[in-house]
Amino acid sequence: MAEYKLLTKDFGTERLQTLSVYESTGGYQGLREAFKKFTPESLVNEVKTSGIRGRGGAGFPTGTKWSFLPKDVFPRYLCCNADESEPGCFKDRYLIDESPHQLIEGVLIASYAIQCNTAFIYIRGEYHDQRLLLERAVEEARSAGYIGKNIAGSGFDCEIIVHGGAGAYICGEETALIDSLEGLRGQPRLKPPFPAIKGLYGQPTVVNNVETLCNLPHIVQRGGEWFKSLGTERSTGTRVFCCSGHINRPGNYEMQLGTQIRELLEEECGGMWRDRSLKAFQPGGGSMQVLLPEHLDLPLDMDAVAKAGSSLGAGAMVFMDETTCLVDVSMRLVDFYQHESCGKCVPCREGTYFESQLMHRLERGEASTSELATLAGICANMDGRCFCPLGDTATWFVMSAYKHFGEEFEAHCGAGECPVKARSVAMVA
Amino acid sequence: MAADGSALEQPDDGRVGVSIDGRDARFPKGMLVLDAATELGIHIPIYCAHPKMDPVAVCRMCLVNIEKFPKPQPACATVVAEGMVVRTETAEVTELREGMLEFLLLNHPLDCPVCDRGGECDLQDFTFRYGPGVSRFPITEKVHFNKAVPLSQHIELDQERCILCWRCVRYYDEITGEKEIVLQQRGVQTLVATFNDQELQSAFQGNLPEICPVGALTHREYRFVSRPWDLQRAAGVCPECSYGCNINVDSRDFEVKRFASRDNPLVDDSWLCDRGRYSFPVWNSAERVRRAAVQPRGGESRDVSVDDAVAAAAAELRGVIDEHSGEAVAVLGSAQSTNEECWLLERLARTVIHTPHIDHQLEAFADLTAGEHELGIAEIEECDTLVVLGPQPEIEAPVLTLRLYKAEQKRGARVLRLDADTAPARVAAAVGTAQRVGLIADETNRAHAARVAPALAGKRSVRMLTITRGVNGRGAKDLGVLPNLGAGYQSAPASGKSGREILEAAAEGSIRALLLLGPNPALEAAGELLERALRKLSVVVAIDTRPGAASRAATVLIPGHALLEKAGSVTNVEGRVQRIRTALPPATSAPPETRVLSALAGKLGAKGWERGDVLTVNRAMRDAIPAYAAAGNGGRAVWAAEAPA
Amino acid sequence: MSLSKATVAAIEKQRDRYPQPRSAILPALWAVQHEVGHLSPEAMGEVASLLRVAPSEVEAVSTFYSMYFQKPHGRHEVLVCINVSCGLRGADDIVGHLERTLGCASGETSADGEFTWASTVECLGACGGAPAMQVDHHFHEDLTPERVDDVLARVRNAGT
Ligand SMILES: Cc1cc2nc3c(=O)[nH]c(=O)nc-3n(C[C@H](O)[C@H](O)[C@H](O)COP(=O)(O)O)c2cc1C
Ligand code: SF4
Ligand code: FES
Repeated sequence: MAEYKLLTKDFGTERLQTLSVYESTGGYQGLREAFKKFTPESLVNEVKTSGIRGRGGAGFPTGTKWSFLPKDVFPRYLCCNADESEPGCFKDRYLIDESPHQLIEGVLIASYAIQCNTAFIYIRGEYHDQRLLLERAVEEARSAGYIGKNIAGSGFDCEIIVHGGAGAYICGEETALIDSLEGLRGQPRLKPPFPAIKGLYGQPTVVNNVETLCNLPHIVQRGGEWFKSLGTERSTGTRVFCCSGHINRPGNYEMQLGTQIRELLEEECGGMWRDRSLKAFQPGGGSMQVLLPEHLDLPLDMDAVAKAGSSLGAGAMVFMDETTCLVDVSMRLVDFYQHESCGKCVPCREGTYFESQLMHRLERGEASTSELATLAGICANMDGRCFCPLGDTATWFVMSAYKHFGEEFEAHCGAGECPVKARSVAMVA
Repeated sequence: MAADGSALEQPDDGRVGVSIDGRDARFPKGMLVLDAATELGIHIPIYCAHPKMDPVAVCRMCLVNIEKFPKPQPACATVVAEGMVVRTETAEVTELREGMLEFLLLNHPLDCPVCDRGGECDLQDFTFRYGPGVSRFPITEKVHFNKAVPLSQHIELDQERCILCWRCVRYYDEITGEKEIVLQQRGVQTLVATFNDQELQSAFQGNLPEICPVGALTHREYRFVSRPWDLQRAAGVCPECSYGCNINVDSRDFEVKRFASRDNPLVDDSWLCDRGRYSFPVWNSAERVRRAAVQPRGGESRDVSVDDAVAAAAAELRGVIDEHSGEAVAVLGSAQSTNEECWLLERLARTVIHTPHIDHQLEAFADLTAGEHELGIAEIEECDTLVVLGPQPEIEAPVLTLRLYKAEQKRGARVLRLDADTAPARVAAAVGTAQRVGLIADETNRAHAARVAPALAGKRSVRMLTITRGVNGRGAKDLGVLPNLGAGYQSAPASGKSGREILEAAAEGSIRALLLLGPNPALEAAGELLERALRKLSVVVAIDTRPGAASRAATVLIPGHALLEKAGSVTNVEGRVQRIRTALPPATSAPPETRVLSALAGKLGAKGWERGDVLTVNRAMRDAIPAYAAAGNGGRAVWAAEAPA
Repeated sequence: MSLSKATVAAIEKQRDRYPQPRSAILPALWAVQHEVGHLSPEAMGEVASLLRVAPSEVEAVSTFYSMYFQKPHGRHEVLVCINVSCGLRGADDIVGHLERTLGCASGETSADGEFTWASTVECLGACGGAPAMQVDHHFHEDLTPERVDDVLARVRNAGT
């Protein structure tokens, strides 16, 4: 099946970032058709028909999410989640870098569907150049009449505000994003009420990922039924997979869902580098559980990967070769969560700190075997007990690595150094 | 709910059937699982939850198992639902509580032996009850923060002891709106702090140590003072103003060590102002009138027994009454006296001495009616618009500010703070079409407020609240310690002189004897006039606590009791009759004021005054005054509607 | 007022874009940091009054996000990713190289005041070009020690 280009079809076209080039590739036709062919309600239904599930990580069906908005409560808000900070993810940046107008078009279509007149694009602080690019694109679109009052003669009004973050992974969580957008510390809110009922400024709000929204012009133009024909029954369409690690060609690859992971690795990524073999890989991003070479035959399908004990999450694929120390990788991820824990709830705030201290001792070979039980105990006390998924997921990779590579963890205990690195150095030399 | 589906047959009474630890009960919709469990006597440990604040569910200590939920749920933020089955005693819950405590203790300094909170610390208590036996943390690398940072003259912050329950932050956010303490940094570095380490300015900071579940925020005045188990606690009412906040008076070795709040949702809503809370040291003053004395004009002063003093006082008063008439005698009570004392004093003046000249402060209250305090404190929350005339009401009774803020924040009311003398028409314009209006004034502009009220009237409801002065200023008025009104705002048989007029009359000689029940700080405002009056009077019977102008000029001096040494009742601004208990042993061997007044009446020949103990007087008062009988302990006295003037 | 007129105007413009003024805190703090170099208490106080919030709220927000500086910083900012993907492809070598060439540890400023660098643990979103870093908000990917030297030299010479 190989790469399937829907969102990325025109990527690489020179100056695609400008409005005129984007229009020349058919850009903003989706928006015009949305106005012509659909009422807001029928558009929501069309998106439901497409079966598209959110690309932000949780995979919630987008049309269904939109239909939760209470009738007759206005204003409503759309927040495009461009906070992308999940370790291993860089697809949203790519989608923006290559075609900012595609995202803007998606935002406008979603806004029309949910009848929102002010949409926000929340983009992480580190994506500074991408923010400027989007702001320029917004200005261009505004002067062309795609943003503002009576868009393209439709009678529909919509403003887009690009909002830059300032360095906080948790702001990718939808309610933390909303708090951050309101000018608060970006910490998750208590649910219920869910954002669809009471979100930004206390009003009904939809939060959607960049990639989710970039799909909309295509769904509108080619129809929900057509879209559904791509991919598998419950994972429709394509997804952009961010591939990194020990592979020959790291990068973003748009794949039809259902394709085997092996194909992604071997054909698009050019296989493992330096003729080494695959030891483990992580699908979905830093939060997700590690998988083994035997899982390469799994299809890129949200449910199939979930059944194997992990998740396609936000579409990251990190491949690790035989020299990799899973304790070291776990430690890096745990450090990330410790640094990014918002500090709101006890198990995440203290647990990630505890975890991190233990992982460093373990990686240095200073921990005793009994500390592995402590580690497992701490993780058990975090998973499912934190306020938001950040704290829960801070345990997933390390616990799955411990499960699959228990011997490697044990070998670290009392070793006085990292035994894997020592061996790898010897092996490579 | 029950397996036979009986829940289906339940009528919709606004309640839902829930089972907690196998016990079935029905609770109002919207109630939190935490509160439902508490009602059943089931204890769920909490840190972040606070009954007066919105749930945040951050400490995760209250997680419980609820059927149909794969993960444990926070009891503090989950509302009951029909058929819900809650379990708080599962192995998972036991294990997670232990685990949360392990987390909390990870970066805690464990300095309980030197922590003021020891003995009343939720971290200590729950660790004993639910905590892990040993720490598994192998590392000595705790995260360190500042210890013992003074945030103000009153409050000290130990950031290492803080468990980040957010209560202090939410307090400033939700309760006072001042946002003085906020969270800074994030993750394990998170701490509570003020902007740029500025000093706290709030007039309500004393509540912080009380809401802090651990020893992070403490009272500087209470540093290393006592362990809670060495304190004696007595329920009382804050003596600082007339609002009537409920307190616990905590004392040790016959000294007050602190005032603590005692939640009365109808009055203080569990908050105290700093003026009240930190006023406690005055009650430890050694400056007291301790012995009864007879101090004849121009003669030698000598100490006597209280019995002899009472006899001398009766003889002196009798002399003036016989020579002139009862009207040559004046009686001055105080807004610091208990209801029992006020009632006796009024009876003594009008039925024994037969004088109309009785008051409890200087200025007269013209046209006083019970309508002036129709609006109850808790009812402030029912108003859609509140008009506060001038800054004085909130200066007199600071906690009022918090109730107004609550009405604003939680009930969406509008609070209009207008100048004290805003013209009625302008008030009406500002109020607009509001339907339920509360009008709040104080003693200095009550008359103006009474003119504003009719200008607002119409189809809407307009209720007034006048903030009186003195802890029992309302009781003194209710019970007729007034020149023109008897008990219950009924016209007095004869109209007498106000406090100031009494002093003037005394200074020019037409009043010859004065019976003074102190302490009365209001009198001191009369300054030189008071001195002149006292010099001129031939008889001054003073029952007082502190040495001062009155005790020096008294011809008969009888030691009084400080409010915290008394039992009885006081009535707050809104007419709520509240019991006070003896919190300190008396600094004098003299009998309580009620006995002294009764004995005095007896010596003046009155019948039926034999028993002067507080209980008997209280009963007699309630028999005589139905509104007070109906109010009981803690209710509001409601007076029969006035005939319209 | 210690903030320049231009910064104040920029903050006011941001403020007026949003349905509620306080939403402009992050953009306002960016404007301040770009002018002053860090977020001084005085500047936070000014932001607070422009956005009609308490100064304490501005500080609460500013300290939450890792990209704001509470203290003066070097002229250039270098962020090096050491998360999984970069870690797998040699980020530790880049970190070692920076420690040596800049002569200071992560989180510190080089003696000449040119660079403040940090091996941030938040994945930079450049895993496909690992190992990666950002210098003054711009990405540099597929790093080698030589490329790092190159970039630093260019930045230093550009003097921006
Ligand atoms: C800790 C955390 C971080 C997240 N970060 C992101 C993110 O960077 N981008 C994103 O789109 N969704 C992120 N999510 C998921 C969002 O909460 C939300 O589900 C998503 O934006 C919804 O969009 P979708 O329905 O289009 O997937 C994160 C969730 C959590 C719990
Ligand atoms: S799990 Fe808790 S501390 Fe961690 S990010 Fe979520 S709310 Fe914050
Ligand atoms: S009391 Fe419920 S989470 Fe803290």
